[in-house]
Amino acid sequence: MKSIRILHRLPNRQAILQVYAVIAVMFSAWTITAFLWKLSAWLLILNIGEIFTVFSYSMVANLLESLTVLLLLLIVCALLPASLLRDDFVVRGTMVATGLVGSLMAFVKLQMQFGMESGMKLLIGPLVVLLLTAILLAVPPKFHLARFLHSAIQWISDRMLVFLYILVPLFAIVLAYVIFRNIL
Amino acid sequence: MHRISRRDFLKTSAALVASATFAGTSRILSSADSQAVTKPNILVFVFDAMSARNLSLYGYSRRTTPNLEKFAERASVYHRHYSAGNFTTSGTASMLTGLYPWTHRAINYRGMVDRSLVDRNFFNLIGKEYTRVAFTQNLWADILLSQFEKDLDLHLPSDSYSQFADSLMQPDLLRKDRDLAYFVFQDFLNLRVDDVHPYPGSLFLASADLARALASDRPYVSAEYPRGLPTNHDFSYENTSVLEGMGHFIQGSMVQSLPYFGYFHFWSPHEPYSARKDFIGIFPENLKLQDKPRHSFSASNFSDQSLQKYRREYDEFIADVDAEFGRVISSLKNSGMLQNSYVIVTSDHGELFERGEQGHASALMYAPVTHIPLLIAAPGQQSRSDFHSLTSNLDLLPTLLQIAGREIPAWVEGRLLPGFGGNEDESRSIFPMMAKDNPAFRPVKRATFTLLQGPHELFFFTGYPDHPDTFELYNLQEDPDELHDLFSRDINTAARMKDELLEAISAANRNYQKK
Repeated sequence: MKSIRILHRLPNRQAILQVYAVIAVMFSAWTITAFLWKLSAWLLILNIGEIFTVFSYSMVANLLESLTVLLLLLIVCALLPASLLRDDFVVRGTMVATGLVGSLMAFVKLQMQFGMESGMKLLIGPLVVLLLTAILLAVPPKFHLARFLHSAIQWISDRMLVFLYILVPLFAIVLAYVIFRNIL
Repeated sequence: MHRISRRDFLKTSAALVASATFAGTSRILSSADSQAVTKPNILVFVFDAMSARNLSLYGYSRRTTPNLEKFAERASVYHRHYSAGNFTTSGTASMLTGLYPWTHRAINYRGMVDRSLVDRNFFNLIGKEYTRVAFTQNLWADILLSQFEKDLDLHLPSDSYSQFADSLMQPDLLRKDRDLAYFVFQDFLNLRVDDVHPYPGSLFLASADLARALASDRPYVSAEYPRGLPTNHDFSYENTSVLEGMGHFIQGSMVQSLPYFGYFHFWSPHEPYSARKDFIGIFPENLKLQDKPRHSFSASNFSDQSLQKYRREYDEFIADVDAEFGRVISSLKNSGMLQNSYVIVTSDHGELFERGEQGHASALMYAPVTHIPLLIAAPGQQSRSDFHSLTSNLDLLPTLLQIAGREIPAWVEGRLLPGFGGNEDESRSIFPMMAKDNPAFRPVKRATFTLLQGPHELFFFTGYPDHPDTFELYNLQEDPDELHDLFSRDINTAARMKDELLEAISAANRNYQKK
């Protein structure tokens, strides 16, 4: 009975898929860009099979990362009052997920740009992204900006769904491949 | 975090690892023919980044290595032994393959040996009659061992006998696929904060590694280790645990697996120089060192004061490692394990504290970074033999094959060491090099090349942005501190050695020129 009650506190499947699509595309875009950046060097030392294995591990890491963020969102969704997240999960969930993934991107990107010498200043980037996300989440619906954001995010997350038709089979293939290499 | 005691940890680890070994070696034991048991065992101990220039064994003014000196009383000591590289990958690959870096092509950070040459390694050549065991705490060296996996009877995990994982993701979690898993995590998914151009593939792992690096400049400081535990940046450990642990492991595994070939490559005394408290402050005085101004190819600009400090910490760390080594050797000796065993002590490269530089893997290839120790104690050897001619770490492979009674293949670029069938050849040329920024399978155009010959040492800095190609020539006998560049003064020697070096580079690059 309790599990059914928890399910009632979750958003509908379509909304979850839309938010997951945004998360998965963000993670995959980062990894695939990094992969292509390194590919020319790898071609000199790895064969095609080994490069595919590197890609497979990377995409499995993507799958786990994206599911972790989604799971985190769903837990928060189940815990918070419905009006804060569940009622408008596609928009608010996408904003929170984008903020989280974006802050990770800012954190790593600043290190790539300025190195470890910057020390704690590297935290400025992710904090700014998180602050911006919080501000956008707090904008009351009566403002034009909020209405614009709402429709833009709805539109984008809807379009992102199409990538799941590529990513989900890809995740399945690479996951099977990695399991095969490590268990069988 | 709950900490188990060192003793508990050792007992558990030794039991676990030894049982894994016996399971793994039973196949070998059952198939080994009776003749093989009479072959000598070989134990190779590699101490990472241990420069011969900082060892009292070789005349350094600080008494850093009393135990190595004692060990040397019954060993062959090589006084002019040089690594072919100035960092782990190239130096270790040369030692394990008997090939120069420009042949094996493991020239970049975390590089690998050319696939077509992977069978040219110690473990394969020494043959299946030996039980071949390998361990390294250095993950870049472990990438190489993973390449040689099929030739190993037991490849011990890098974090054996270590206490704390510093990195979120350890490749050892994926043991069935460790060679590529290592590569994926080390070269792609994790963020290596010391990389010049990092681009990690995983945002989660990279952020976790970055946060860890920001939070822990001095990881796991304890009363025993006031500067922090020694760490390879992926896990922290105590030298006592690792060396004692390996000593127990050797005793436990060797007795059932003769003949035995063991390669044990320890991270210490590699940076960070984290000596145990007993060794901190044992060298209070600053050394009176020759003034060596910053070099135009130096990547850093450390003050003399900083370099003195780093050098002192490094020397203390060497003394710490030396004491642990002394304990392991006497324990092995007392247990009778060394009666039919050759014991080799060496390093993969050295360490530099001069001309504004500290460490290794820079463009500067001065002797402290390539001059490494080599000691070989033969079974029953009662006195010390000293050899003063030039030798290279490429020579270890043919020499060990000779000891094991194996044929030495014609492709080997090293020679038999003097004392083991080789001659003291004063006219010999050896070629250490550093080309970490050069693509592995293209002609080597951005590098520092060295030609060592007789008393002379020629450097060729080439392809560095904003620097013209530069030669330097030193006479190491008359000028061991490499202060007086003879390139424009000893014109005949300079011209002869320059021609020889350029010809060797050209020959090495020939296979990689575009057709």
